[in-house]
Amino acid sequence: MDTPARRPSSELGAPPARKGWRRFSSRLRSSFGLYGGASLIVGYLSIIVLIPIAAVAAHGFSFSIHTQGWGAAFWHWHLSAGFATFWHDITQPAAIGAIRLSLWLSLSVAAINAVMGVAIAWVLVRDKFPGKWFLEAFIDLPFALPTIVVGVVLIFLYGTASPIKVDLFETWMGLMVALLFVTLPFSVRAVQPVLASLDGESEAAAKSLGAGGIRTFLLVVLPSLWPAVLGGFGLAFARAIGEFGSISLIAGGIGRTTTASSYIYNLTQGFLWTNAAAVSTALLVLSLLILIATNVFARRIQRRLAP
Amino acid sequence: MSISLSHLTKRYGDDAVVDDVNVEIAEGSLTAVLGPSGSGKSTLLKLIAGLENPDEGRVVIEGDDVTDIDPRHRDIGFCFQHYAPFRHMNVARNIGFGLRVRKQPKNVIDAKVAELIELVRLDGKSKSFPAQLSGGERQRMALARALAIEPRVLLLDEPFGALDAQVRAELRQWVKELHQQIKVTTILVTHDQDEAMEVADQLLIMHEGRIEQAGEPTELYERPATEFVHRFLGPTTMFKGVSVRPHDLELVAPSEGAIEGTVQSVMELGFEVQATIALSDGSTPWVQMSRNEFRILNVGVGSAVSIRERI
Repeated sequence: MDTPARRPSSELGAPPARKGWRRFSSRLRSSFGLYGGASLIVGYLSIIVLIPIAAVAAHGFSFSIHTQGWGAAFWHWHLSAGFATFWHDITQPAAIGAIRLSLWLSLSVAAINAVMGVAIAWVLVRDKFPGKWFLEAFIDLPFALPTIVVGVVLIFLYGTASPIKVDLFETWMGLMVALLFVTLPFSVRAVQPVLASLDGESEAAAKSLGAGGIRTFLLVVLPSLWPAVLGGFGLAFARAIGEFGSISLIAGGIGRTTTASSYIYNLTQGFLWTNAAAVSTALLVLSLLILIATNVFARRIQRRLAP
Repeated sequence: MSISLSHLTKRYGDDAVVDDVNVEIAEGSLTAVLGPSGSGKSTLLKLIAGLENPDEGRVVIEGDDVTDIDPRHRDIGFCFQHYAPFRHMNVARNIGFGLRVRKQPKNVIDAKVAELIELVRLDGKSKSFPAQLSGGERQRMALARALAIEPRVLLLDEPFGALDAQVRAELRQWVKELHQQIKVTTILVTHDQDEAMEVADQLLIMHEGRIEQAGEPTELYERPATEFVHRFLGPTTMFKGVSVRPHDLELVAPSEGAIEGTVQSVMELGFEVQATIALSDGSTPWVQMSRNEFRILNVGVGSAVSIRERI
């Protein structure tokens, strides 16, 4: 069949060419599909996240505040000495100690809750028992509770006047209990939907091929949960390393239990803004690296599983 | 007998999904359990495999009562409807799973896996992951995985259900050939009577949890024991008040001694032609004939014809 020769657009009844504002807005709208989504996200993230972070990092690097004499403050620019100042601030023994405490606590808490999260998600998905609805709601409690409330509860329960005679005041155990509580929903909720979406056929297949319950779980179920478990691990870690309210009371006031967030808070209380910004930046970079690592790892596994 | 089921019953609440089933399945046979959806055929298969527990009755495999034995010790190869691949393992590891679980030495596993990969024609795919395989390839991988443990019985749940028509036809033929090659007692579940008739040497027709009839395909087709079997195994049409096969009717030029009618509609399906005839008593039987027969008859919609049973 021949293709008819192209006729002027007016004959085809096409809308007349747009002019002025309408043309502009139409172009804007059509290009939105191409770049709009991405630029919206980048713009939003810039305002909410990136610009404040950049400000903190800049502050940590490029200027410091010296207080001299009777509280008289002199603002001093040290543009060239930026990195040296930064390095000096974050290599203070107290700063290193606080960051180290935060890191190992957060990593262990995320790891413990990754295991417990899978166990709890398993019970919630696979088991039927009275009061399950209550447990479902209870798990999300840390999401809703102001963390300082958790702090108050914990100091009452595990403080020096503990009614159950468990004194965790000023110990890392106290911190860990607080962090385990506030991060639990991240671990559970990351795994639960994935576990619920498994159809059970693979498990039945493993069983008919001779695998027992434990081996079926380790060889068949767990590998399909890994991306979700890692995702939950990343979120729990991020939450733990930034946690302040719930641990501020039980940590007391000694250096041994000062986490990075408490350390930064203490610095700001002494108006040591540059030091605070430097330690914040270091914490930020470390957290980002760990989050990127878990994400990359999870994606690598996911790519294989995807149909 | 390879498998014998006696008084096998499974209830969900008050509903008997499998209801007092008594069946003997011969060693080395390829049996199709055929029934409409919800007839309990998949549940029957799971009861044999031990993936479901019966409320009553016994499952005996090669003389051993396995009713109370865990599925993992029954030596049964089970292929699931959606193949249930282990998605994080490549083809070779999927196939070798049962052998690894059985703690076989590595060289034994490797040799067996290589042999099965060749048998199911997945050469060159051993390092692929299930996500990279087509539906038919996944199905064959699942079959190889089930065969790896050298099962006493092979159970296939709707093995071709999720494949497109062409792959389906190829796989049917291939499964039939494979069965002739390895002769393991096989039961497959299907709701497709053509598939069952083509592949199986024995049929079990299931309806509402019960076995309606068991036997060879031709025997069941020709001598159905119940109206349900008759209707389920092939097309039927009402002629002179009884249900007959449309290919057992024929059209002839209007003549004495035959019932006269008018061609109401004609449907040409390649080789096959289906003609619906309106009779004076108001009934509308349809007749199935070859394209050639229809051409010779030289009729169209509105033509007067006579209809009679083929001799």
